[in-house]
Amino acid sequence: MHRIRRLSVALTVAGVVGVAAPVAANATSLVTISGATSSYPLVSLLAAKYIKLHPGKVRFKIAQGGTTVGLNDVKNGHVTIADVAQEPTGADAGLDFYPIAKYAICVVTNKSNTLSNLTPSEVTSIFTGKTKTWSGVPGATASGAIDVYSRTAVAGVLTSFKSLLLEGKSVVSAATEEATEGLMRQAVESDPNGIGFLSNYQANKGGLNSVSYNGVACNQTTAASGQYAGVSVFFEVTKGPATGAAAAFINWVDKSPAAKKIIASEWILIG
Amino acid sequence: MSTPPSSPSRLWSWRDPQPNPMKGGGNGHGRRSSPMSWRWGDRLVLVAAWGAGIFLCVTAAAIVLYMGYRGIQDLRPDLIFSHPRVGANGGFAGGFLDPLLGTILLTVIGIVIALPLALSSAVWIAEYGRPNWLARVVESSIEIVAGTPDIVIAIFGLAVFQVSLLAPLSFTSEGGGVYGRSFIAAGVMMSLLALPPMYAATRDGLQAVPAHMREAAFALGKTRITTIRRVLVPSVRSNIATGVTLGISRIIGSTAIVIILLGGLNIEPQGSVPGIGLLRGTGSSLTSYIYEASPAGEGGAPQKAYAAAFLLLIFVLALNLLVDRIGRSQARSTGLPTVGAVV
Amino acid sequence: MIERLRKPWPDHRAERTLGAVSLLVGVGVVAMVVFVATKAWPIFEHNGLSWLLGGGDFETEVAKMTAATNKPPASVYHLRAWPLIYGTILTSGIAVVLGMAIAVLSSVFIVELAPARVSRVVIPMVRLLASVPSVIYGLIGILVLVPFVGNHIISNQEKTSVQNVVQLTGAGLGVTVVILTVMITPIMIALICEALTSVPSSWREGAVALGLNPLRAIRAVTLKAIRPAIVAAAVLATARALGEAVMIQMVSGGKTFSPKPVDGVVFFFEPLRTLASAVLDYHDGISSPPLGATVYALALLLLFSAFALSVTGYLVKLPLRKYQTRG
Repeated sequence: MHRIRRLSVALTVAGVVGVAAPVAANATSLVTISGATSSYPLVSLLAAKYIKLHPGKVRFKIAQGGTTVGLNDVKNGHVTIADVAQEPTGADAGLDFYPIAKYAICVVTNKSNTLSNLTPSEVTSIFTGKTKTWSGVPGATASGAIDVYSRTAVAGVLTSFKSLLLEGKSVVSAATEEATEGLMRQAVESDPNGIGFLSNYQANKGGLNSVSYNGVACNQTTAASGQYAGVSVFFEVTKGPATGAAAAFINWVDKSPAAKKIIASEWILIG
Repeated sequence: MSTPPSSPSRLWSWRDPQPNPMKGGGNGHGRRSSPMSWRWGDRLVLVAAWGAGIFLCVTAAAIVLYMGYRGIQDLRPDLIFSHPRVGANGGFAGGFLDPLLGTILLTVIGIVIALPLALSSAVWIAEYGRPNWLARVVESSIEIVAGTPDIVIAIFGLAVFQVSLLAPLSFTSEGGGVYGRSFIAAGVMMSLLALPPMYAATRDGLQAVPAHMREAAFALGKTRITTIRRVLVPSVRSNIATGVTLGISRIIGSTAIVIILLGGLNIEPQGSVPGIGLLRGTGSSLTSYIYEASPAGEGGAPQKAYAAAFLLLIFVLALNLLVDRIGRSQARSTGLPTVGAVV
Repeated sequence: MIERLRKPWPDHRAERTLGAVSLLVGVGVVAMVVFVATKAWPIFEHNGLSWLLGGGDFETEVAKMTAATNKPPASVYHLRAWPLIYGTILTSGIAVVLGMAIAVLSSVFIVELAPARVSRVVIPMVRLLASVPSVIYGLIGILVLVPFVGNHIISNQEKTSVQNVVQLTGAGLGVTVVILTVMITPIMIALICEALTSVPSSWREGAVALGLNPLRAIRAVTLKAIRPAIVAAAVLATARALGEAVMIQMVSGGKTFSPKPVDGVVFFFEPLRTLASAVLDYHDGISSPPLGATVYALALLLLFSAFALSVTGYLVKLPLRKYQTRG
């Protein structure tokens, strides 16, 4: 008798917990983000700060994968927000693009190669494979074959790089394609003959030689002033207008001084 | 298809009991053939054999010493006890407490799920095993699981756990996509990794138990299941322990499953029910942390990668020693044939 | 009812329960295979079996798949995955051949040639090599071997010779094969050593009595006698090599390229991609239907290869049964 009572009490408790669990789980809202690897550091910092200032209200799950993966995920409803590092195109109908920061795309070489400047035509001919050896590049201290590093097709930085600094042409197909900015940085850092392109945040970490474009150095100041040609925008993209926790977050990023401080630390403020 | 693959318990357990003419054994009569009298081809092979052995030793020593050298430089106690974060300068800041806890959690889940399955299967195969075709099916399927690459197990797990029926086991993003990655998902797949070694070790142990133990129990009137529960299973305790330790080593060393089925860095429970939330949540393990910290992941922290790798290596070495110990103590205490220390 | 459960069970109930639990594993395995096959179906539907062949540019096809929406047109499913299969065959094949040579030599060394003191040192070393996780191999590969090869071994001339087609960065076939060999050799050594010690010594002593020197005795008698074990070792090692994803992904260069033997030495520096490393590379695109189907199809192919390998090993060992000592 006692045993049956104990068992039924145990079952009831388990049942209550089992029902309460999903209910309790919905107390905080969950915002899922995926997309560009270049804006991942920025969005992670912003999300962390947001959680610190508004505890218990929202949780973030930030993945990467590349701009195109993010756009697809948000179109198919797999994530709430997509991190995008390129301008919207015609294929992005139905999506709302909210700019959060600007970034500059820097051409980088290995630290041992103290190339200080490249003209637009030199950049194009190197990355399209017309110039094959460093001897054909004035000012380069490296010698031998040029190892071109690019990004995989899903990268927003690649799309922006092609349209802004490469006159719309494509990078040579023999180039090694890296999946993330971190990998690109690592590759150029360890290859004395390497050349690639990175967002200014990664490029100015110190292990690389950042090359001026057309005489203009690549950093926050020149990008903010509009001097540097290769400036693109980080967007947060939602399917239709942002709602709920996503809208609150994007609003906070747009307006709050704490967010602006984070953006201004390594990137460029919008407007 | 009784191939050694599914019974790694036999590996490393050989002993060389027979006198070896090469090493001067035997009854002392006759001369040992000196290499000086051989043809050149044979001498080359001798040198090559020595070279191969030394090459392996040197490689093993080099790996351990290099990891030790980098690890001692980079491993500090505060790394073990602080949480990792994505640093403001890229790469990983902080330590690897979360990956460490993640490894432990995954191991626990994997073993807890695999042990009953492995024990039941081993007991059933060793003690019952009828009808025959069923026994062959069970043996073959465990062999198939043993022979499946880690990455295939991981992808299979992803396919299974992204079904909406299993959404409570991870979480659902807005828009209806089941995330499919959580501790429980990775743990269940890890149990598939640990199952074959535990099954093989237990089954070999049970088959090695001499028949008179069973017969004595039957003579006393015990049923088969009671004999199994009270006599046989306790007597193969060290085999089970060996199997469990092997299973733990396999789980600790697996990277692909963690990368694919446990996306994340910090342990983030899902939902607010304490235990269930943790199981549904995401996190990382030492192996996925090493992968992400290396140039293949985000690349920014080779020192942290070395430190974590050194820690991992210490665990693996400790487990190796444990398997050795268990094997030797079993040989001493029970007098039953050693089923051997295993890879 | 609970009292009934707590009493010792009758044998037939215990047998049924244990049997059912054991069958669970089998059923689970079959269910998973079927499930993944359904998910991989779109690739077979649109390509038949020709997706195993070459001809297309794998990376462009993948790029198109990644950018595809939920209901893409049939042309997006076009896939030609031969470079992956070629890369897998190349790495696993070379590693197994090299590894087998080293394994046989070292096993003979450990069991026959080395003094007991040396054996006592070598065996734990080999066991250590077998238990190092693959991510640590990959870490050493990518942080030590790849930069070393890239900066000190690949000459400039070699780089420019293939510059139009592919870039040589040190990560490629050579480093992959070296590390893979080190990974799979201990497995083979364990099996072969065990088989060597199970050959009755009288066979070897007979050969020595007939005048062969000990090394020749081993070659003539012992190695022939352990042929089933060598086959088993080769099968096991190949299965391990096929399934290695993490280490290969870290050191193979991440470019879907078919290394060309005609390039001479440069052949060993060319990057490649294997089936397993491709699955790892593209697993986060699994939510896009065509790319997801591709990844599942690759995983299915890996599973069938491992399975076919097992069956082949079994078939090869069948005629060798008559030489078996213990197996």
